[in-house]
Amino acid sequence: MSVILKTQKLRVEFRSREMRQATKVALNGLDLEVRAGEVFGFLGPNGAGKTTTMNVLLGFVPPTSGEASLFGIDVRQPIARQRIGYLPELTYYYKFLTAEELLRFYAKIFGLARGEADKRIDRLLKLVELEHARKRSIKSYSKGMQQRVGLAQALINDPDLLILDEPTSGLDPLGRMKVREIIQRLKDEGKTVFFSSHELGEVETICDRVAIIHQGELKAIGGVHEIIGRHTSLEKAFLEIIGFQTPPTP
Amino acid sequence: MNSPRTILLLLVALLVSCFGLAAHLQPQFEAWRGSRASGDIFNVVLGDSRRMFAQSFYVKADAYYHSGYYPTMFDDNAAFQTAHMAEDTGAVNSKNHGDEHGFLGPTRDWIDAFGRHFFPDRHTHLDEGGADDDLGGSDNVREILPWLKLSADLDPDNVQTYTVTAFWLRIRMHRVAEAEAVLHEGLRNCPDSYDILFELGRLYDESYHDTDRARNVWNLAIRKWLKLDPDSQKDNRLIFEQITTHLAKLEEDAGNLPDALNWYQAAQKVSAAPEALQAHIDAVQKKLRALIPVAPAKLY
Amino acid sequence: MKNIFAVAGIVIKELYRRKDFYVLFIVTILICLVMASVNIFNDAKIVRYLKEICLLLIWICSLVIAVTTTARQIPAERENRTLLPLLAKPLTRPQLLFGKFLGCWLACGLALLCFYVFFGALAATREHQWPLLDYFQAATLHWFMLGIVVAMVLLGSLVFAAPSSNNTICFVIIVGILFVGRHLDQVALTLREPLRTVVYSIYFVIPHLELFDVRDLVIHNWPLIPWLYFSLALLYALGYMAVFLAGACLVFRRKAVN
Repeated sequence: MSVILKTQKLRVEFRSREMRQATKVALNGLDLEVRAGEVFGFLGPNGAGKTTTMNVLLGFVPPTSGEASLFGIDVRQPIARQRIGYLPELTYYYKFLTAEELLRFYAKIFGLARGEADKRIDRLLKLVELEHARKRSIKSYSKGMQQRVGLAQALINDPDLLILDEPTSGLDPLGRMKVREIIQRLKDEGKTVFFSSHELGEVETICDRVAIIHQGELKAIGGVHEIIGRHTSLEKAFLEIIGFQTPPTP
Repeated sequence: MNSPRTILLLLVALLVSCFGLAAHLQPQFEAWRGSRASGDIFNVVLGDSRRMFAQSFYVKADAYYHSGYYPTMFDDNAAFQTAHMAEDTGAVNSKNHGDEHGFLGPTRDWIDAFGRHFFPDRHTHLDEGGADDDLGGSDNVREILPWLKLSADLDPDNVQTYTVTAFWLRIRMHRVAEAEAVLHEGLRNCPDSYDILFELGRLYDESYHDTDRARNVWNLAIRKWLKLDPDSQKDNRLIFEQITTHLAKLEEDAGNLPDALNWYQAAQKVSAAPEALQAHIDAVQKKLRALIPVAPAKLY
Repeated sequence: MKNIFAVAGIVIKELYRRKDFYVLFIVTILICLVMASVNIFNDAKIVRYLKEICLLLIWICSLVIAVTTTARQIPAERENRTLLPLLAKPLTRPQLLFGKFLGCWLACGLALLCFYVFFGALAATREHQWPLLDYFQAATLHWFMLGIVVAMVLLGSLVFAAPSSNNTICFVIIVGILFVGRHLDQVALTLREPLRTVVYSIYFVIPHLELFDVRDLVIHNWPLIPWLYFSLALLYALGYMAVFLAGACLVFRRKAVN
């Protein structure tokens, strides 16, 4: 299987404004590969560097050193983003637009013809169950509805790679189930999904491979069962890998 | 203390005490010299600064008279010390000197040269064609009237605003009734103004052809002028000359030659061009000699 | 280009869905109608004061719309985090900036069209004439001036921390240029070195927005501006727009978006 997403010795430093010499190392020599067609879980505690990694892949943050590529194209080239869909952790969209207008706007950016865009918008709104609210402005949407519109905009260009930053964050159990179903459907269609999450139970269920990072460094990478190993769950394995000592049970 | 009833009673007590305090202070406030509460809206809102705005609007009217071609504070405004719209009425001492056509001076750089195509660049007067050389549109001078009206409302004590407004209303706009109303308003605000009385007299004489009223008004103007102190009389000789000359002309046309002679002689005493008046005096004396051999008693 | 037009379309949609423009337009109409109802010596033909008041209101409203609409574009995108899903698309930062600029400028143009149509109708009720070419020149120059303002404010939105500080600084600069820009060289002559050189430099560097203020020509029915100079003024405006946009692209290139 071809490698779709690749980072090589990726290092990102942020210089502190207050103290010129102090720098924060957000990523330290990250080597990562995601292959076509797999669902890849990107795990780590808060502040580990997951969002920074995604920001580098999406071209928001330039790497200090190292390389990152999507479909073999350097991430700094805008064309690298032609075949990806991205759902940020906190989903905010233009409140004065309706869901339909928002999707049409993004469709234009991807250069979709009007007819094709219309068909795709209808299909996506049906998929995320927002057909009834397509003409309402996003200002009136609930958190869950906004998350779903975010998922729809991430899929507007029928991407080969989906990058999702905590897609089930803030959703109720029903919402989380629907997101899992969508991810599973995408996998069945041969798409690649790269997502971060704190819901280890979900990751254990749907992911093919996972990577765990902590303090900017890759601690473990491999198949889910490989990572779980002798532990009873992914959660226990995760805690051990990041060096958390479970207190002894009384 | 926290019960709603206590809070409500406290609020009512506060309201009553505020009302009582206001009622107690009201007579003192009305008697206070600095109170503006009883004045018009401009007086209440702006106070004495309204006169500054009045002057700005007066200048604005002159700028309109020139279709926007007017010096700013950065330009040479020596030729615009006295408003041209007032100067053209013939009733003010002009302090203008210098070139009114070229206050901008030569172009200073390419930006200045380029920029002169984007604002008025020619000296014109509204009653002489204006910017679009509309020689048939001498009543375009109407466009200065709103600013003069506003200026008069803001500074009711500025005599020139009334006389200039009335002049243009009467001469170019042929709105005699409106001109008379402006002058009467001016007299209400400035009852001792001989300038306004002079203009009113011109209105009665030239527009209504009512020589009796014109004579009465001009005589009143003379009496007002004579009440001035000697220094003020020295500074206001032009208006005295104009009133006396008009009275002389009126009396001469009415056949009252002795009175006409007296007025011409009074005008000659203050005139900057006495020889011009001497010709009129000689003409009247010639007529008198033909009619009345004895010299008349002086009325003035 | 399609990306630029797509972004511009969003900006225009935002303008006509916000209340700013409608409030300003209605306030302008109300003030002008009240001024028109004033009886000035029973003469119904007096029109120039009305044209001046209307044009003054149009200028104030258009500057408010241009500055406030543009100043909040990029900061609002960053604050509302709508910038992230946008830049995650195959859209470059310069395309985003040009799209924002074009959207704001076109939105100003649409607003100006409404204002000038009202102005023309109001003037025609008294003058009984429609000097269309004069209005066309005035409106076009006004629109291009707003283009310079939009580009300048867009650059300011990337330089200054908050939209409010950008608004204030840009308004001060714009009003300063409109009032004294033409006379800075005269002011420089009255100063000593090195201040004289500083003021002269400012005089030659600033965009002379006052060139585009041809209200006096419209109010007092001056003849048309020669078309050569009219075209040169438009080119002058395009030059400054290009300079400010280039500066904005340079600043935005390395700016963090989150």
